[in-house]
Amino acid sequence: MRRRAGLGAIQKQKLEQEKYKDKGNEIQENQFEQMTKQLEVFKVNLEEFASKHKNEIRKNPEFRRQFQDMCASIGVDPLSSGKGFWSVLGIGDFYYELAVQIVEVCLATNEKNGGLIGLDELRTRLIKARGQSKQHQEISKDDLMRAAQKLKIFGSGFNIIPMGKGKYMVQSVPGELSMDHSSILQQAEKNQAFISISYLRRELNWETERSKKALDHMVDQGLAWIDLQNPQEKLYYFPSLFTACVNSAS
Amino acid sequence: MTDVEIDWPWQYSFPPFFTLQPHPETRSKQVAAWKSLILTYCQKTKTYLIDVREASQFSLFNNSTINRKLEHNVIISILSELHKTGNAASVDKAKNRWEIYWHTLEEWASMIYEFISSRGMQNTVVTLYELMHGEDTQEEEFYGMQQDVLIKALKVLEGAQMRDHIGRRCSRCKVF
Repeated sequence: MRRRAGLGAIQKQKLEQEKYKDKGNEIQENQFEQMTKQLEVFKVNLEEFASKHKNEIRKNPEFRRQFQDMCASIGVDPLSSGKGFWSVLGIGDFYYELAVQIVEVCLATNEKNGGLIGLDELRTRLIKARGQSKQHQEISKDDLMRAAQKLKIFGSGFNIIPMGKGKYMVQSVPGELSMDHSSILQQAEKNQAFISISYLRRELNWETERSKKALDHMVDQGLAWIDLQNPQEKLYYFPSLFTACVNSAS
Repeated sequence: MTDVEIDWPWQYSFPPFFTLQPHPETRSKQVAAWKSLILTYCQKTKTYLIDVREASQFSLFNNSTINRKLEHNVIISILSELHKTGNAASVDKAKNRWEIYWHTLEEWASMIYEFISSRGMQNTVVTLYELMHGEDTQEEEFYGMQQDVLIKALKVLEGAQMRDHIGRRCSRCKVF
């Protein structure tokens, strides 16, 4: 039978399409409703769980991390919501307090490291400042990272720089650091806190211009110091990575 | 040079500390650290006079462990900074020889004045030697003080009308 391309056929097609769409919407709504319900149940359970284990969350860093992971997987951020039941739990407070202490340590050490500090040093100093009780001492690097992440909302003045191998540095001065700068820090960390143009050429195969530009930027940011007394070439030093500086009391 | 244990700050083992930094903010931190290190060092070693030409003999300006030295002109510029706060003064035109006052002359002067008045020795003649090396002054901060610096400190008292001119030639002074 020859199918005719008439007005009727078009209208029929249109009608069918609409029906499909309606059905599709219906299914979607159903699913959405179900998911909302599930999530609601999950949230209630989580809430219950959190209030039950409130003390545990404050005291045990490992527990804290797992709890955070669990929250993250359902898209709840116990830190961002100051209202509602999360504020009752005081989980946010725990991290806010930590964030304030991070800022304090960064400010106090800015004088010597120019606003760049290793996460390990940050942790040591912060713990020292927090007091003696066990609860105050058990701050994991994970906690610090989470708290420091929150500080990003203040703009580019706060940044976490991954250094590879689970190491991080916290930058507390305005000024963007690019991938190149991170790479330089990584290399300097392996090389007793200093770096040179020829070292970067050897290790990363960088052109002189590239190294020079990145290094000069770091000098301009007050993050690197230059040493002109090396017989071979100019050296760039990072106090934030220099052991004696990291360990110094002041 | 006396061999006294110095509590070197971390910067002392930091090689770029011995190169004047180009970045203004970093440089001001560096200069501030040098200023306090110089004063601490001089106080610990009782160094009243630094000759810049012999600077490399001072472990202060020459860290042989890391093979770094502070250049003469940098030393002079830091000493000039110390001059601004009354903590140093050059004693020759070429700015090679510098007196270091880890206590400013005013502070020295008031210390001496305190000493004199606490003993009721006003209006009596005291020799400079007594002040510098006398038995009574052994416990005093100014014990062993260099004569040139002492005289300058006493001149401060003189300016404040608290010391008499007499006896200067024969190394004596009188404090009212």
